[in-house]
Amino acid sequence: MHELMNTAREALHLLLSFDPALWEIIGVSFRVSLTAILVALPPALLIALLLARVAFPGRWFAISLVNTFMAVPTVVVGLVLFMLLSRSGPLGELRLLFTQRAMIIGQILLAMPVLTAMLHSTLQSIDQRAWETARQLGAGWWQSLWVLIREARFGVIAAVLAAFGRIIAEVGSAVMIGGNIEHFTRTITTAIALETLKGEFAQGLALGLVLLLLALVLNVLLGVMRGRGHQTVSI
Amino acid sequence: MLEVSQLAHGFGRQPALWEIPYLQWQGHTLVHLRGDNGSGKTTLLRLLAGLETPRQGTIRWTWAEAMPASPPCPGRVLYLHQQPYLFDTSVAGNLRYVARWNGWRGTTARDRVAAMLERCGLAAHAQQRARSLSGGERMRLALARAWLLSPRVLLLDEPTASLDRQAIADVSTLISSLHEAGCAIVLSAHQSSVLTERCDEYWCLEQRCLQVNAFKQEVAV
Repeated sequence: MHELMNTAREALHLLLSFDPALWEIIGVSFRVSLTAILVALPPALLIALLLARVAFPGRWFAISLVNTFMAVPTVVVGLVLFMLLSRSGPLGELRLLFTQRAMIIGQILLAMPVLTAMLHSTLQSIDQRAWETARQLGAGWWQSLWVLIREARFGVIAAVLAAFGRIIAEVGSAVMIGGNIEHFTRTITTAIALETLKGEFAQGLALGLVLLLLALVLNVLLGVMRGRGHQTVSI
Repeated sequence: MLEVSQLAHGFGRQPALWEIPYLQWQGHTLVHLRGDNGSGKTTLLRLLAGLETPRQGTIRWTWAEAMPASPPCPGRVLYLHQQPYLFDTSVAGNLRYVARWNGWRGTTARDRVAAMLERCGLAAHAQQRARSLSGGERMRLALARAWLLSPRVLLLDEPTASLDRQAIADVSTLISSLHEAGCAIVLSAHQSSVLTERCDEYWCLEQRCLQVNAFKQEVAV
């Protein structure tokens, strides 16, 4: 118990003293995951819109496929990307393996199904009258689409937060295609795994606290936005 | 002017709800469209607004004078749902959307929105969430939004259904004002009310046909 308390104290000290090595790892994690979310969001939104609003043959199969991809383990994504990006693989010439770009690609693949499934469910729940009303009142196609997204904004934010939470906390693909290289591809989760194996619990715990704090901040932000949505608003 | 010929519509493989061999309407009057529940009043209004494509026949709107080109291009024929959809923003925000979509900016947009809120008795609610309004206020906001566009024809689907007496009076007054401002109106209602008694024409969907002025005498009594 005494040792645990000491480790926790040391972890807090590392965080509050802005230990450069620790904050560098946090910076890499955020940069990779935020980039992945920003890249994944527009196509996920378009696919979700297509699935929610356009009737086409095989639509229900496509929805089932998206839901299935949500359950794909991160190590499987890591394995497939590793085979594609390794030197002998079909995309080996791009020399992406063990780079932040490769990690971003992995996280895009992990974020897409979560984003698409949640956005699909949100957009499907929007009243058909919203589109009709906007179009009748003079909105163009893109303006109507924007209104639809705005009407679903809390669902969109929830989808982004859920996807961000999934990819920043994943370790499988990050370690397989990132390689956990110090000062380059070491992220919060890969560092926790490494430090634990080395018996350096303080840094691992400090990074774990960052992840917990991040989850808390994201949930509070969502709560605040939902609260604001129920009070007087203006655009 | 509206010209309808050989119009028939139904859903799926079911037989047509009704058939309208020919209908001509000058598009200046206040029309009460009556029919029992399920007789196809909403479907007819949606077809006239172009929100649905008829199974058979044609619907043609023609205007005596040239309409202004966009922007701004006011909606000519507007359909209002029985429960109007209000965007999840403030009352004024709902009107500002319309202003923005139709290319009005700055003081022009602000003045038009403010004037419309005043005209429809919603100025005191300008910053209130639109979805927190009462049923009557919601319908007034939907009418205000439509009025901003100065439509030629307004198709209202049961505009006073499930409203209390005061709200019916307020909405009826607003609809009459819109009509006096030059907007032709077709409103559906399956019962007579203060509003329907002000109508100039009566259309009735009965026995799968549209009868024009068939029950005018009955209503007048």
